[in-house]
Amino acid sequence: MDIGFIGLGLMGRPLALHLARAGHTLHLWARRPASLEPFKDVDARCHVSAAAVAKHAEIVFTMVADAPDVRAVCLGADGIAAGARKGLIVVDMSTINPNAAREIGAALAERGIDFLDAPVSGGEVGAINASLTIMVGGRPEVFAKVQPLFEKMGKSVTLIGASGAGQVAKACNQILTGVGVLAVAEAFNFAARNGVDVAKVREALLGGFAYSRILENHGQRMLDRDFKPGFKAWMHQKDLRIVMEEAHRLGLMLPAAAATAQLFNAIVGSGMGEEDSIAALKLLEKLSSADQ
Amino acid sequence: MRIGCIGLGGMGGPMAGHLLAAGHELHVWARHRAANAEFLLRQGARWADAPAELARRCELVCTNVTGGADVAGLAAELIEGFAPGGIHVDFSTIAPATARELAARYAARGVDFVDAPVSGGTAGARAATLAIMWGGRAELAARLDPLFRCLGKTVVHVGPAGAGQVAKACNQMVMVAAIEATAEAARLAAAAGVDFTKLREALMGGSAASRVLDVFGAKMAARDFAAGVAARLHHKDFAMLMAEAARDAVPLPVAATVMQQLDALMAAGWGDDDTARLLCVLEKCGA
Repeated sequence: MDIGFIGLGLMGRPLALHLARAGHTLHLWARRPASLEPFKDVDARCHVSAAAVAKHAEIVFTMVADAPDVRAVCLGADGIAAGARKGLIVVDMSTINPNAAREIGAALAERGIDFLDAPVSGGEVGAINASLTIMVGGRPEVFAKVQPLFEKMGKSVTLIGASGAGQVAKACNQILTGVGVLAVAEAFNFAARNGVDVAKVREALLGGFAYSRILENHGQRMLDRDFKPGFKAWMHQKDLRIVMEEAHRLGLMLPAAAATAQLFNAIVGSGMGEEDSIAALKLLEKLSSADQ
Repeated sequence: MRIGCIGLGGMGGPMAGHLLAAGHELHVWARHRAANAEFLLRQGARWADAPAELARRCELVCTNVTGGADVAGLAAELIEGFAPGGIHVDFSTIAPATARELAARYAARGVDFVDAPVSGGTAGARAATLAIMWGGRAELAARLDPLFRCLGKTVVHVGPAGAGQVAKACNQMVMVAAIEATAEAARLAAAAGVDFTKLREALMGGSAASRVLDVFGAKMAARDFAAGVAARLHHKDFAMLMAEAARDAVPLPVAATVMQQLDALMAAGWGDDDTARLLCVLEKCGA
């Protein structure tokens, strides 16, 4: 199959390579030529624009930073819509505002282009190992066509609902992981400041109702003081901003997410944006001490 | 009236002085005969050797101390001296529940307990311009009002015992939340490269104008963190406030957040500085 892929960063690159290795022909376009280097040895053709990619592909995947990027790639000058034939499927794997996803989907539908929002969870490691969780929103018949490709990229692939539903699921994922990381960091700081062995607290709690994968995995990295990403704090900050925008649009109260979003602002503001989200622990330590 | 005063610090000292100046017979007791006590004694106040002795001599005893435990400790001694009909007026800021308990304990002996916390700081105490919010039996108003008028400009009987402390807790909640809001505005302005002095000036002409923006905003703009009221006292008040909220199962999401910022302020070692230090807590999260 001729497949377009736009957005060849940390996440997009390994996913595109999985599709090439499965025997598909890739059509690529990138702002920076260096992004195309890893595709020299696979069946991949480079084009001058997103529109040109769309002209040659049956399905185009996008994996970019935020809603304005998705909008520009899909609907901008020389964007996908400008080159697409009727029946093209656009699959956006970026994490963006659910409402923005619905709007982009509707704008593409007006031009006879199908759209799925398919954000992922699992980070760079999950992308490389093709073990991502993929949460999809869109029409079932469109999902059915893309599903075999999703299965080359992820282990858990779920059609959540209509357009935007994948982004809603991802937003819920970010609420739980954001609040969860902060909760573990608070518990660890609380134990440490009480002079209690944090490793033993974690071990004991893993056996009870406070068990979570975050307590297990992120907790261990906090103990090891291994702050390498993983998932970068600035991306979590961005995702929580999306959550709060959507909550505001709907008139929803999310007090724990709101507090967490503020602390992620503080993590990024303190210059720890490029570290893993577990830098939350360092922030709490700093704010609970006389350190400046 | 024969009035006893305990707690002669930055607030209680000038307040006792005003009562003396108004022509009342003033009796004082203090753990240590510090400068304020000596000053009052030179003006004609009389010394008592123990709280119970003070209560024996006086119709009304005022206390102005730090925490609920201090007030309860003094009340346990005063109650041994009071004649039925006596009144204990406590100007301290303590938990409403403590005030209610003390009122009930005194009532069994025919003595009134009045919680009368004040707002206005040491400047308000010296100028006799305090806001006084009191809780206790309404029938006491006729006797208390003339005294309170010597000390403050705004005197409000809020309700029964404990009501004054509830009003004070609300006062602290609204005021410190406004200080935090002012600090956040200052921080946001600085991050955006906007001069906070000018911002404050502009805002003071609009709907966001407030005494807190005026006074604490000026302190933040000048980076003057010398205490008016020490931040640790606000920190103490917030612990009481949140305990009261938990007791009544009332959610106070803004107050809870402000309390976290106050906790960070204390951890940073700024408890003896002004609460305008909340700005510095926010700056700790800056690059």
